[in-house]
Amino acid sequence: MIYLDYAATTPTDPAVIDAVSDAMSDPLLMANPSAVHMAGRSSAAATDEAIGEVAALIRCDPRELILTSGATEANNLALIGAARYRADRGRHLVTSRTEHKAVVEVFERLEAEGFDVTWLDPDSDGLISTDDVLAALRDDTQLVSIMHINNETGVVQDIAALGAALKERDVLFHVDAAQSAGKLEIDVKRLSIDLLSVSAHKFYGPKGIGALFVANRPGCHIEPLMVGGGQQRGQRPGTLPVPLIVGFGTAAKLARERMLKDHAHAERLHDRLLDGIANLPGVVLNGHPDGAHYPGIVNFSADGVEGESLLLALEPLCVATGSACNSKNAEPSYVLRALGLSDALAQSAIRVSFGRFTTDVEIDTAVTSYRAAIERLRRLAPAA
Amino acid sequence: MNNDPYSAEVRRLFSTLLHAGALDGGVRVQRSGNDVVIELSAIAVDSRLDALRFKAYGCPHTLASCEAVCEAFEGQPTAKLLDFSSESLRERLAIPVEKTGRLLVLEDAISALSEVLDADSHGSSS
Repeated sequence: MIYLDYAATTPTDPAVIDAVSDAMSDPLLMANPSAVHMAGRSSAAATDEAIGEVAALIRCDPRELILTSGATEANNLALIGAARYRADRGRHLVTSRTEHKAVVEVFERLEAEGFDVTWLDPDSDGLISTDDVLAALRDDTQLVSIMHINNETGVVQDIAALGAALKERDVLFHVDAAQSAGKLEIDVKRLSIDLLSVSAHKFYGPKGIGALFVANRPGCHIEPLMVGGGQQRGQRPGTLPVPLIVGFGTAAKLARERMLKDHAHAERLHDRLLDGIANLPGVVLNGHPDGAHYPGIVNFSADGVEGESLLLALEPLCVATGSACNSKNAEPSYVLRALGLSDALAQSAIRVSFGRFTTDVEIDTAVTSYRAAIERLRRLAPAA
Repeated sequence: MNNDPYSAEVRRLFSTLLHAGALDGGVRVQRSGNDVVIELSAIAVDSRLDALRFKAYGCPHTLASCEAVCEAFEGQPTAKLLDFSSESLRERLAIPVEKTGRLLVLEDAISALSEVLDADSHGSSS
């Protein structure tokens, strides 16, 4: 097996596995961190230390973080929580058509609740224009949500420009940073971000833990989605999973220490992959604007090749297809269609994503396999 | 939890596709729809399918189905083509019911092939 689906989830770093394992076996860390006894205080101290590492990763105060089960929950909490909190001020929200389903479907639910959502279209490179965002704002706009790195294409939105443009308005700015946290420098204050969603397993941490940053500023509040227990100031109650939090903190610390090295490694692999597919006829890159692309995610399509068959022909390579393909739904990716791709090209797209543990040999094998697979499938296809 | 969308038989057929290709000098039909394009070509001798090949653009279930059909009918009397049932093939290969439309394209192609072969044999004998 060659795993090239890091955008879906990354392998857990061995140092994180050790930290989680140690925390699970340490009798002083098995307690509920809310308890006041000795074991509870030890657990709380370990939790605080780990949350401090996550806060350092995005340059916020640890008290501005709410731990969640991952980015999906963080997005739900941010968007539903903020929209409901500010509903009396206005019910207009702004987002883009290329957001992750964990954002798109939340906005669809808010629409069903009576909120009015403006869906922005990207340009053909996948970029959302700051001017378009500003033009969409109304007197009753309460929140703008734009993702940082697109999970399908790797396109990086200009969060700094958006934050600066929205800073002077009474509008909350939410960023889904599931793909960018731990990979790109994020300073929530400098970027003027109000709400930011993070997931540990996207940067070599454990699955099942994430966080929502909620800026400590007037008007930036969320209505909790759950009640009972009062943990995390009542904003997201429930007993804290200490080992997962310790793993999250370890992953955040590693990401901060290795960010430049990891990024350089991803850039080198990206260039190697692009060199490998450069001369293949009928192969096009999707969403690859100069200077606004994360190198660890590469999305490309092959003319005349069916995506689902391509995916199977590529086994044992683990890559993602460009369609939301399962046995029930072979619809081409809505993200790629929003970029203007035809259904056929969107359906033939694959996403190759890689990172810290990917080797040159794995990229070379992927290129060789891809070349053979598209040649085979094209030979199989009847002439039109 | 088994979330493999493909049965072992689909995987076997897809990995080989021994009957992929086109035959020179045979009869050929092509049908498309439901995101698939299927072309069947055959050479019949004395009302028997001496060779049966396919070309297809489609999902693994589609390609595997084409291969299964060629595997099953090659060497058989051409009249056997009329026995083809997309439903029994769907069940045998454990193809999701949502893909029935693709199998109907294959069924349509087989039916068309049968008609062409039939017409051809009558033409030859007259």
